[in-house]
Amino acid sequence: MTTLLATLLSHYRRHPAQLAMLLLGLWVASALWSGVQAINASAKESYARAEALFTTGLDRLERLDGDALTRDDFLALRRQGLPVSPLLEGELTAPDGTRLTLIGIDPLTLPGDSAFATAGSTQELTGFLTPPWQTRLAPDTLPSLGLDTDSAPGASPRLAAGRLPPLSLAPSLPPQTLVMDIAAATVLLDAGERITRLVTAPGALAAAPPGLALTRATTLVSPGQLTQSFHLNLTALALLALIVGLFIVQAALGLALEQRLAMLRTLRAIGVSGRALVAGLALELVLLGSIGALAGIAGGVWLARALLPDVAATLGSLYGAGVGVELRLPWHYWVGGLAVTLGGLLLAGAGVLWRAARLSVLDLGRAQAWRSGYQRQLGRMSLAGAAVAALGLALWAWLSRQPAGEGLAAGFVLMAALLLVGALWLPPLLAAALAGLGRLARRRPLAQWALADLELQLPRLSLALMALLIALSASLGVNSMVGGFRLTFLDWLDQRLVADLYLDPPAERFEAVHTWLGERPEVAELMVTRHGESTLLAVDAAGASRPLARPVSLFGLTPGERLTPTWPLLETHTGREEAWRALGEGAAFINEQLAVAEDIAPGDRLTLTTPDGQATLAVAAIYPDYGNPRGEVLMAASELGRRFSAPPDSIGIALAPGADAGALSTALAGEFALGRDALRDQGAVKHIATGIFERTFTITRALNALTLAVAALALLASLLAQAGERRRRLAPLWALGVPRGRLLGVQLAQLGGAALAVGLVAVPLGTAITWGLVAVINVAAFGWRLPLHLFPGEIALTLATAVAVALLAALLPALRLWRTPPRTLLAEEAG
Amino acid sequence: MLEFRQVHKAYATPQGPLEVLAGVDLTLEAGRSLALMGESGSGKSTLLHLAAGLDLPDAGEVRLGGRAISPLAEAERARLRRESLGLVFQQFHLVPSLTVLDNLRLQARLAGREDSAWSAELIARLGLAGLEGRYPEQLSGGQQQRLAIGRALAPRPALLLADEPTGNLDEATAGEVLALLLSLVEETGCALLMVTHSPRIAAPLDRRLRLSRGTLAPLAAAEASR
Repeated sequence: MTTLLATLLSHYRRHPAQLAMLLLGLWVASALWSGVQAINASAKESYARAEALFTTGLDRLERLDGDALTRDDFLALRRQGLPVSPLLEGELTAPDGTRLTLIGIDPLTLPGDSAFATAGSTQELTGFLTPPWQTRLAPDTLPSLGLDTDSAPGASPRLAAGRLPPLSLAPSLPPQTLVMDIAAATVLLDAGERITRLVTAPGALAAAPPGLALTRATTLVSPGQLTQSFHLNLTALALLALIVGLFIVQAALGLALEQRLAMLRTLRAIGVSGRALVAGLALELVLLGSIGALAGIAGGVWLARALLPDVAATLGSLYGAGVGVELRLPWHYWVGGLAVTLGGLLLAGAGVLWRAARLSVLDLGRAQAWRSGYQRQLGRMSLAGAAVAALGLALWAWLSRQPAGEGLAAGFVLMAALLLVGALWLPPLLAAALAGLGRLARRRPLAQWALADLELQLPRLSLALMALLIALSASLGVNSMVGGFRLTFLDWLDQRLVADLYLDPPAERFEAVHTWLGERPEVAELMVTRHGESTLLAVDAAGASRPLARPVSLFGLTPGERLTPTWPLLETHTGREEAWRALGEGAAFINEQLAVAEDIAPGDRLTLTTPDGQATLAVAAIYPDYGNPRGEVLMAASELGRRFSAPPDSIGIALAPGADAGALSTALAGEFALGRDALRDQGAVKHIATGIFERTFTITRALNALTLAVAALALLASLLAQAGERRRRLAPLWALGVPRGRLLGVQLAQLGGAALAVGLVAVPLGTAITWGLVAVINVAAFGWRLPLHLFPGEIALTLATAVAVALLAALLPALRLWRTPPRTLLAEEAG
Repeated sequence: MLEFRQVHKAYATPQGPLEVLAGVDLTLEAGRSLALMGESGSGKSTLLHLAAGLDLPDAGEVRLGGRAISPLAEAERARLRRESLGLVFQQFHLVPSLTVLDNLRLQARLAGREDSAWSAELIARLGLAGLEGRYPEQLSGGQQQRLAIGRALAPRPALLLADEPTGNLDEATAGEVLALLLSLVEETGCALLMVTHSPRIAAPLDRRLRLSRGTLAPLAAAEASR
């Protein structure tokens, strides 16, 4: 087996470019896949740590009037025998500017099985509870404090707020989180008697004590649940990159087999059995695959490190999910990465092994036999494409009968089927087009030769062209979706953000600020918002009641002159004006996500939990709510306060014509000593929102660009691999009197034309992908549907990219041809 | 050494089955040489493929070293080839990515019976000394065929099957290569079955047979003397 393996591998010693192409394909495919998996694994690990923390998983108590709870509230409840525990939360700024969440707890009363409720030995608990106390933090928080794991234990770093109690490492804590005894936290946060909330074991209280709102842990959605679709989208993109990379691998393997056919037949003739030959080839695959996969995983980790900060920022701003920017990879990540790459490689190499197993030793010396089978292969591709198309149609029919918002995985399969049909039908389509054009160019010998020659090249180029088609279509599809989303999102922001200034006053001074603003001549209108949580218990539609238990957010706004004309509505029961009038009278609007998820229409009635029991509201309209992962019920802020005891949240300030926003801000800050971030103008809010939007698609764009680069590499690799043979085919033409410059032009025109044809196929395919993304994937993943936008600029860019990629890939072989002396061309042809 | 008993072989063609061997009987003893002649398409190569176990007869029996080939599994036939047979082709069929020395030792290594001294002697006898590190494409046609002969003889096979071994060479080189082949065959004591269409090439061999219309017949005296 060693001799056989060495003989098989000796091919690559003579053809290092082929080996490089194979390893490159494996490396790129594996790097992109494992990079995204590393990001997902790290994020999931962060979610797991966050979910293990006591801030989730426990029922919460807060004051109904929005005021802060105090230590006296806690003591009073404990005296009543209620098993509550105080939590103090605040933010500290690390020396490098990182915001750290500080959580103060009382381990003696904290319920549950968190590491702090059972703090280990008595000595540990005493250390935590008594001066100088302890600061518990995860090792990945240390860099923001300028420390490492060796120097951290026992250190007492100084922050602006004061010196932290001695550090103690607790790897199970989420990143950028400090946990200490509530007494120590009170000092650092200068909180006095104030506490943030009271927590209790889930279900420990049957009802909220008077004056307090009880939020059940079951109504709190975990970051892991919220971000599921985000990670699924990333995985789908990574899978696409993996597939495109495997196209390169398959092209390289196919070429290596074709060039080694004579060798394989000779080996068979001199006594290597068919089984031994296949085993040798499989061993070669595993060997090369392991090298490629290991290099790919190393590349993937590097890529993940580069992209993770953006992804973490996106997840933080979109979903409020804290994700560490340090990679933390579980063991199964490494094994999984290796398995997926090797599995993909064996899948890509299965065809090669199959052909090697069926190799007829009697065809010794007939190295061209493979090409003659290409016509049959085209037929099989057409049939396979038709079968996948039928499967895709069946899936689409099935999806269209599913309730809206269902079938995310099926949606991705539908997208994959679309891409596969396009890829499978591309070579037969190109072959038919070339044959047709060849007939038209009968009177132009060079053009006819060029077309016939391209037809001959097709078997070797088709895989690379298929990869290019997939990458181009996906790029067009995703970019059109993102572009459409961007347009819709900016419109939606303009419609929703109608106030000139937005103010977040402290809860305890809300009324005072509101009254003060109401008396100012610069203010035309005040738009108070309120937020709350509830559970949707039932939906009544057409007389039938459907029981549910879905946690929903409550949002209250002030339907005034500024807001109601522009606020976007997707669907109303009896018209826009009537809907707003109904809202003012106690009806509700719901966001699209909730309408899609629970199949609710205007006119239906919702039963929601309130602090006092239940409330029933009629649905007057459905509104778009991009970026919100949760179902939301909207009502007049006054109604939300009255019926759901929801505390006030922010105030939108509409200025009177000609009023000076700067002067009002200065007066407001002077009167109430508000923080720097409490007042923002409309432009700043829009800027933040669009910033979040752009960052959300950073990784999407990066993966798209990388996939396109991989496809370009596939094409380059295919062209390089057959460059020698190409030169030999061009030599006779030169001998017949065609100048080298013209030959060069013909070569570039051949490839540019082929790529343009691929680009033209990519346009309808990419448009279909856009449709799938906005109408199927988006609805299933996020619960909202976007309008389908097509951008002529994107289409032109796709066509230009196709041609540019092809010409770029053709440039190197063309330069080589240009530099080869004509006599050498003929010598090569003779050889 | 090699025995064909009433061997039949036909190929399917659009016009119906084409019988290329119609009850061939043939015996080749150890250490003897036999030239097989015939027109193009007469079935010479088919007979050679059957002798090598690369193909199986439709009827009849092919025996190699006293063992019937047909009942053997594919892996067994492959083992028989690498351990007992040497094959020399008109197109050389060297492995382009292996050096001269590695090509020469390839079959012997696969058979697990590499003999360094014998390989070195073969290199010297074949006139390939000093070219061991080169690749086949860097050799002349005659050198490539000599290397192919060396590869076939390196495992010391009991039977050498040669298919038009000089068909791709000019007359002078062909004579030189043939003389070398025959002397090495004689030294190693292996049997030789050579397919050729040239009476001149066939002349030095112990026996000469013509394959025509699916059957074997001794070569006519007039034809043999040409």
